[in-house]
Amino acid sequence: MEYEIGGRWGYRWCVGSSSSSPDGLERVVRMASESAVVVFSRSGCCMCHAVKRLLCGMGVNARVYELDRHPFGKDMEQALMALLRSSSSAASALPVVFIGGNLVGAIDSVLASHINGSLVPLLKQAGALWL
Amino acid sequence: MATHRMGESGLSESAPSTSSHLHAPYGVLHGISSPSSSLVNQGSGYYFGGLEEAILQGVKIRSEEAKASLFSGKPATTLAMFPSWPMRFQHTPREGGSKSGGESTDSESGLNTISSKTEAQFEPESESPMSKKASCTDYQAFDQQQRQQLQQLEQDMASDASRCQTLQNQNQSPNNPFQAKRKGDGSKSEKQLDPKTLRRLAQNREAARKSRLRKKAYVQQLESSRLKLSQLEQELQRARSQGLLVGGGRTASANLSSGAAIFDMEHGRWLEEDQRHMEELRRSLEAAVSDNELRVMVENYLRHYDEIFELKGVAAKSDVFHVMNGMWTTPAERCFLWISGFRPSDLIGMLIQQLEPVAERQILGMCELRQSTQQAEEALTQGLDQLQHSLLHTVVGGLDVDGVQQMFLAMTKLSNLEAFIRQADNLRQQTLHRLCQLLTVRQAARCFLVIGEYYGRLRALSSLWASRPRESLINDETCHQITTNMPIVHQSSQNHFSSF
Repeated sequence: MEYEIGGRWGYRWCVGSSSSSPDGLERVVRMASESAVVVFSRSGCCMCHAVKRLLCGMGVNARVYELDRHPFGKDMEQALMALLRSSSSAASALPVVFIGGNLVGAIDSVLASHINGSLVPLLKQAGALWL
Repeated sequence: MATHRMGESGLSESAPSTSSHLHAPYGVLHGISSPSSSLVNQGSGYYFGGLEEAILQGVKIRSEEAKASLFSGKPATTLAMFPSWPMRFQHTPREGGSKSGGESTDSESGLNTISSKTEAQFEPESESPMSKKASCTDYQAFDQQQRQQLQQLEQDMASDASRCQTLQNQNQSPNNPFQAKRKGDGSKSEKQLDPKTLRRLAQNREAARKSRLRKKAYVQQLESSRLKLSQLEQELQRARSQGLLVGGGRTASANLSSGAAIFDMEHGRWLEEDQRHMEELRRSLEAAVSDNELRVMVENYLRHYDEIFELKGVAAKSDVFHVMNGMWTTPAERCFLWISGFRPSDLIGMLIQQLEPVAERQILGMCELRQSTQQAEEALTQGLDQLQHSLLHTVVGGLDVDGVQQMFLAMTKLSNLEAFIRQADNLRQQTLHRLCQLLTVRQAARCFLVIGEYYGRLRALSSLWASRPRESLINDETCHQITTNMPIVHQSSQNHFSSF
């Protein structure tokens, strides 16, 4: 069974007969567009904690989903891992940040964009930061 | 020959014959074994000299054993008490014995009148290796002699071997008078055997035994620390030969894992290359090279930094604690590490002061960069704190029950350390790249020079500190002198340290 996602994602996602992945990805997409800033994390993860603290420190009120406590968390995590096509051989793709429904990436992308000075304009554009 | 075998025959030939008196140290033994002709109070100093000798040799002596051998009259036990002695020591008394044997008959009468006081005078010199029997003591002069000898022993500890040698040589001459004395005083001892005497004898024996044990412990401690020192020196030699002590003052232990050792060597090479880059930049800046050429150099320098971050990433995979604890840096650098490296915000703060011709736009950009690096550092630091707390929680949770599962959980949590090192290095890399974007080529070149110079001085500070004169620890003035003699290092390091 094939599945396509277009529109704001700008690419196509083709999957095999497995029914879980499209659900996972679909959920991810849906949840990511519901808020200005969305963070997919795991409850005990310290790197996720770092991302959350970074956003809080900047004054951003992000929507956090703890996937380990979510009923479809596993599928969503797998979908995210595929999305990122992790170059880093990390055990987990989490945390993953979406701003304005668009994928920013894992913590290294977030930090890089922050140092670049591109994170703040992105946040302002999504309406997560004022002034 | 047989009669002069002091070690063996002293006790067995305890027959009350004049020839037995020739075996001076065992005259005492005779005295005790045959109560009628007790030589208890004889030759006290003689035996104390032997005591010192024995202690110096580090031989195990127990007064109980001595007493037992004395009373049981077993010559073999006596010999066995000095197992570490080379044969020459055993020969010497024999020689001394033979000499004294020949002369004692002549000098016997003459020396009969020598008092125990005079014995005390001879004591420090008379160290016969055979006379260890503390039970045979002159209780009158015992305590005094003991104190004397203890003090002397303290002073002479360092020259054990030579002392033993000299003692051996001295054995020969003093033997004669003592043997004769002992023999001569045999008649006196009979009058002094009352309960008071016996009690004092016992006390003296106890005191002597205790002092012997203490000395033995001290000597053993000295020997073990000597062994340890030689082991450490060997390790150091091995580490040096493996080329691990590269660069300024970085120490290496013999317990480096292969990944850590490899990284240390690579870091050493990176430092050398760093020096070359710095030299090139410095020359180019002074020679006022064109901007394009300078840009190429700056980009090379950036790539140079990218290299070390990648090397660190690989090393962190194989030995995360080596990288995290900064074991590849000098002590001074290590002291101010933030997640295995420099703190980007502090670096920016230091560099802002170094940009001389700078536009306001650039100052603003640098301040923004400093702020964003501060926020990122704060986030990573808090993430690391959370890691530590959750690790603590996991380990503590397993204290009551069998902690195998908890340890496994803790191990998985520890694996996050590598991720933090990776992110911190990522932050540093991004900071350096951003710096080059914000500044002009010349400014960027100068910044790299400042960074390199700063770390060079930190490394120099490390080695200076390690080689500072130890008197400075005691003398405050000297300490101040040392610090004022290094104004440059002090100032530059102050710039950075104040922001911590």
